Amino acid sequence: MEARKLRPVYDALERSDSAQALRECERLLHKQPNLYGARALKTFILARTGRIVEALGLGQSLLDTPKALESQHVQQGLSLAYRVLNRPEEEIAVYNTALTFAPESEALYCKVFMAAARSRLFKEQHMAAVNLNKLFKDKKYVWWLVISLMLHGKHSGVDSTSSQVQLKLAERMCEKALAEGQLTTSEELRVYLEVLETLGKHEQMIDVLAANDSLAAMVVNDPDLVTQNITLLVKTGSLDKAVDAAVQTLESLDNWADYKLYMDATVLSLERANGDEEAKKAAVSAICANLRRWASVRDRARGAKLALVSLSLRLHGAGYGELANAVVGSPGELIWAYVDEFQQKAICYSDIVQFINAHVRSTSESDLDTAALEFHAESLNARLRDARDASGQGENATQAWVNLEKIRYLLQALRGETDPKAWVADIEQLLEFALTSNAARKKRPSCSDMAVIASQRIIQSAMLAYGDPSKRDELASALFKAACVLEAAIQHNGESFLLRLYSIRVYIYLSCYERAKSNYEVLNIKNIQHDTLGHLLFGQGMALGCFVSDLELCYDGVAFYDQSRSKIPREIEKVYYEGTYSNVKDFLEFQDNLSRSVQHECTHRHALRGEAFEHGSDKGILAKWREADVTSIKHTEKTLNALHDNRDVSVMGLLTPADLTQWNLELLTRATPMPGTGWIQAFSLIPQLMNYMVCADLDAIETALGELATIGSSSKSTLSTQDCVLVRGIIDIMRVYIQASNEKESVDEKLGNLVDSIHALLPSDQFDTEPDTLGMLSSLTIRNASVATELFTYALSLKHALSAQRLAAANTVGSALSQLRKSALKSINLLRGWIDKCVRSQIDEQWLRSDDELYSGITQFMLSRQKQSVDIASKACMMSWLRSVKNLLAQWEQCSL
Amino acid sequence: MSTIRRFHAMDLFKFNNLNLDRYTETYDLSFYLNYLSSWPDLFTMAVSPDGTPMGYLMGKVEGKDTEWHGHVTALTVGPECRRLGLARGLMRALEDASEKIHDCYFVDLFVRPSNTVAVLMYERLGYILYRQVIDYYLGDGVMPTEYAYDMRKALPRDKDKKSVIPLKHPVTADQTIF
Repeated sequence: MEARKLRPVYDALERSDSAQALRECERLLHKQPNLYGARALKTFILARTGRIVEALGLGQSLLDTPKALESQHVQQGLSLAYRVLNRPEEEIAVYNTALTFAPESEALYCKVFMAAARSRLFKEQHMAAVNLNKLFKDKKYVWWLVISLMLHGKHSGVDSTSSQVQLKLAERMCEKALAEGQLTTSEELRVYLEVLETLGKHEQMIDVLAANDSLAAMVVNDPDLVTQNITLLVKTGSLDKAVDAAVQTLESLDNWADYKLYMDATVLSLERANGDEEAKKAAVSAICANLRRWASVRDRARGAKLALVSLSLRLHGAGYGELANAVVGSPGELIWAYVDEFQQKAICYSDIVQFINAHVRSTSESDLDTAALEFHAESLNARLRDARDASGQGENATQAWVNLEKIRYLLQALRGETDPKAWVADIEQLLEFALTSNAARKKRPSCSDMAVIASQRIIQSAMLAYGDPSKRDELASALFKAACVLEAAIQHNGESFLLRLYSIRVYIYLSCYERAKSNYEVLNIKNIQHDTLGHLLFGQGMALGCFVSDLELCYDGVAFYDQSRSKIPREIEKVYYEGTYSNVKDFLEFQDNLSRSVQHECTHRHALRGEAFEHGSDKGILAKWREADVTSIKHTEKTLNALHDNRDVSVMGLLTPADLTQWNLELLTRATPMPGTGWIQAFSLIPQLMNYMVCADLDAIETALGELATIGSSSKSTLSTQDCVLVRGIIDIMRVYIQASNEKESVDEKLGNLVDSIHALLPSDQFDTEPDTLGMLSSLTIRNASVATELFTYALSLKHALSAQRLAAANTVGSALSQLRKSALKSINLLRGWIDKCVRSQIDEQWLRSDDELYSGITQFMLSRQKQSVDIASKACMMSWLRSVKNLLAQWEQCSL
Repeated sequence: MSTIRRFHAMDLFKFNNLNLDRYTETYDLSFYLNYLSSWPDLFTMAVSPDGTPMGYLMGKVEGKDTEWHGHVTALTVGPECRRLGLARGLMRALEDASEKIHDCYFVDLFVRPSNTVAVLMYERLGYILYRQVIDYYLGDGVMPTEYAYDMRKALPRDKDKKSVIPLKHPVTADQTIF
């Protein structure tokens, strides 16, 4: 009967017609107010359509009526509602109440378990597993309980005694399962090992791995378990066995992890040998002989050869330098022997970089070993000359040159080279090869790599020479040359993602959003990449006047996070049903990293920010801020510290080790948000303040304003100049509002300050007579005009909020903003006309024909050999700036007062 | 030098250097997580000593009776890591697992005929062209619609190598579903 009555609601839901489904529910409830199924479905519909408060109220009324939960329609509707609302405790309460009517329902117990497992409610998960294991005889429930005990013991924050009790209970269950033949898969074995690992029982782990023939066979067929076995032997001090196991494995596999363990065991055995020099020599000779044997029989496998380098360095590090030099060879010589053998492979530099870095720091972390540096510089120079001479002899020779150029770059960074000239010395040779050689015409990958090196050198040198804000024109001019080089390289090889990534960075630096975005689009960034690579572009349009297109991108990101929130829990559930338990910990960590992602927070803030530009009626603007969900974006120190930065910066392919921050171009060219939480805090407080303003909550404004002021002054290194200006402007707006709230106070002075500060951000009337117009345009003008536009939109909300609260002040604000708008339209129009008319010639005059000695060679090369690419870069700049300015004009034009 | 190990969900945060490639698709999260939760021992990754991803292989097992086999869903190696034998190592890991853990009869894969480097590599690894699949690759704005080569390699369980007797006529994509 109930199903028949509810049919129209289900039909509407199947059609995704929430409005119709809601109408059907209300129709049914009008006739029969106690039709619980309809109330549950209504709760679900309210939850799905964002009417959270109503949904929670209706849902609670059902939870308070236990007999309602007897109906499967209510169970289903209400549990779905709580899942949408992200209220797992209530979802579990639904199932638990339902269990009072069906105490033997395995399905309901499983639902309790899964609801808890999906939401990291480890205690509830444990209780559900206990019930399942007790009531139903199924092997999988044994393992569900073991995992629950382990998770509860490890992550519930219980005291260490309770935690140990849980873990020991899990251990006993595993022991019993093994004894009773219920441990039959490698996934179950992994769970057992994890329990023992958590308890620190490494000896027992080794025993389990060889507990019976079946398990031993599992281990042999699983390289991860083989490596784990050797790791355990090293940890437990069974060094001889570890060496034997590593040798046995390495006879057939070439896994670096096993080489590393072999070296660990050997170095530890030397310490154990005390004064027995012969034993030490024998151990080192044995590993050395094996490594050399493998190196000689394995053609392309580099593991054994690089292991010799690593072994020598490790022996030096452990105080056995003489032994290393005598038996293995000196680190420096081995490094260069490796380079000589593998320099024709693209991977060579990545292989060797860490060892050169370790070698020059082998005596001290902070001080570099200058003798080692000198040795590498000398070793490089002769090879570099030869490689350049041989670069026309095919891909192998050119790849060798590229690798040596990368090492040259590394050594300069390690030396701390601060002379800008040294970074661009001989760069014409690199450009010649990268852009005009036969290899370039044949689209060889080594040419793209060389173009990246050349660009990186130009950027590095420019940052050193013109990093001071007063030299913005020179900096922009240098970066424009890098843009030209990258454009030329992209013409040869459009598939190189590194060229595109560098190009995005350079164009953003030059305030060219549109060109950066077109490069971003070519990369086809989507799904999880929104989280890892979205930082390249998300939010940059907000800073460069391209609000709408940036907002669309951010919406893609928001949709990805929203979908992930529902998808990952389903996959966690699946892991239990499939019995692939080794994924549990990993999936939970993944879920946690994604839900607390820095980029997630930033994307959400960018979207909120972008929506501020969508103008409708006064009522629409006020409603937007009034209804903005400002509770979920509040941060505490705890929530900020829990954020995970998943942004992938390693993909930029830097030529220096990550810890050389001063030479880290990724960081030097990264637009905000920079590492740190200042940006997130600031852009969480701005929507909160707007909400408080339209809700006339003065106390909340005072508190949030204080926080924003503190962040504005303390986060200058992580906020851009324009972000700081925006923060100050918001503070000014709020001060006008506070002043206006008191009828006796005049707003004139504070309003005047606000309008003046926005006005100061607009393009100057004398723009085209400034000496460094392009430098201004590419660094300040568009960015400042964007901030002015953004502040104006917030000021409009101020005016609308006051209209409902204090009409006289609202009129005063409106009048001032009206004047400001006229002025803005005039000055931005002038700027638009100037860009249209003059920019191309200015680029030639200021950025290409300037007498900058540092880059004169590059300029001449590009103008004489790559004029087409220069034209492409010039046009890209001009069109991007024009697009930004047109967008700004459109924004001001549509702002109605 | 690399380590071939199981792929982990956390690797999804750092595999961009492999996926920013026109031939490598970045799928929806569920796609990767489903492979991990269903066939964790057939989803492997090669990493450098500092953890940088060098390549990965997604695989699965499917089919019934003598059609029970391992399948290569995706195999990719980073631009810098090519010509090092990594793909061979990843394929070997899948073949080993298909043979020793899942007891399969053969391993198969689909590849674009235009990807001649890959076709040659598979041939060197012992794969033969079993059949052509009509219009397997749909036009996506990057590549035109294209046939696929369905290549196979028999495993020891298929003693008579029946699984790798080439078909004489092409098949349609729906005929390849197990």
